[in-house]
Amino acid sequence: MHEEKEFIQQLLDPRTQNEAFQSLILEYQRPLYNHIRNIVLNHDDTDDILQNTFIKIFQNLKNFKGESKLFSWMYRIATNEALNFLKQKSKMSGVTSEIIQNKVLDNLEADIFFDGDEIQLKLQKAIALLPEKQQLVFKMKYFEELKYEQISEILGTSVGGLKASYHIAVKKIEAFVTTN
Amino acid sequence: MKTFKLENEPKIESGFRTPNDYFENFSVKMMERLPASEPKVISIFQKRKTLFMMIAAILVLALMIPIIANWSQNKQELDSVALENYITYQSNVNQYDLINELETEDISKIKINVAIEDKAIEDVLAMNSNLENLLLE
Repeated sequence: MHEEKEFIQQLLDPRTQNEAFQSLILEYQRPLYNHIRNIVLNHDDTDDILQNTFIKIFQNLKNFKGESKLFSWMYRIATNEALNFLKQKSKMSGVTSEIIQNKVLDNLEADIFFDGDEIQLKLQKAIALLPEKQQLVFKMKYFEELKYEQISEILGTSVGGLKASYHIAVKKIEAFVTTN
Repeated sequence: MKTFKLENEPKIESGFRTPNDYFENFSVKMMERLPASEPKVISIFQKRKTLFMMIAAILVLALMIPIIANWSQNKQELDSVALENYITYQSNVNQYDLINELETEDISKIKINVAIEDKAIEDVLAMNSNLENLLLE
């Protein structure tokens, strides 16, 4: 905690800001990329959102109160950016975000940046049928291997609620994969 | 049909991959995209704070003038000389009005005994040319 405070001070100090922010990018680029990619599925969209996320983090560092951990604060920004991107996309095309996601899934097999096999593709299709919150919880727990406490800090949901959501999501996915 | 159980299966990866060297170049690309430090924004109020404060002070003082003037007037005490002068020069109250206002009791209060010798009375009467008028009254 003390180290994080020191690091935040370095991020806010104009003399050390650039160096500190570069190390922040290097540390979090992969986990945040994976988090966003799991939500939007497409690499190019993920790249844009990841860049916007880091810009927002940079611009809002001075407003970061330290009430939550830097890690969960950044994940929250990334999650909001990704979900807002999907909402804007569906607004612009006049269809629901579920339809858009299904379209992306249909194109997933042809995506050069997806090399999943049959079971991986089936799993993605099963996840796409879940409600938004259950999708998020499942992806963060199963793919990103975050702890319930960490997910709770990011999404602002109780650990008990998250466990219930994950359990329901797993049951639905298992049912889908079994029958398809 | 075999029931699929997620926990019985080996971990299924997401299957997503990134272009070659994507993460190697990302931080450099990102640092170039970062906005320059924003110039400090000074509001018009901040810039002309002294002027605004001066105007506000003048307005407050101007609004307080009637209150202060009224207050200082109330502080003036009414002294007896000023009252006497006012009654003498500014009012229509004459000697007879004042006499009419006097009660018997008031008259008895201002009644004084003056010892006047007969000689003095004779002198006054001798000096007064209107003695006849006084006798008639």
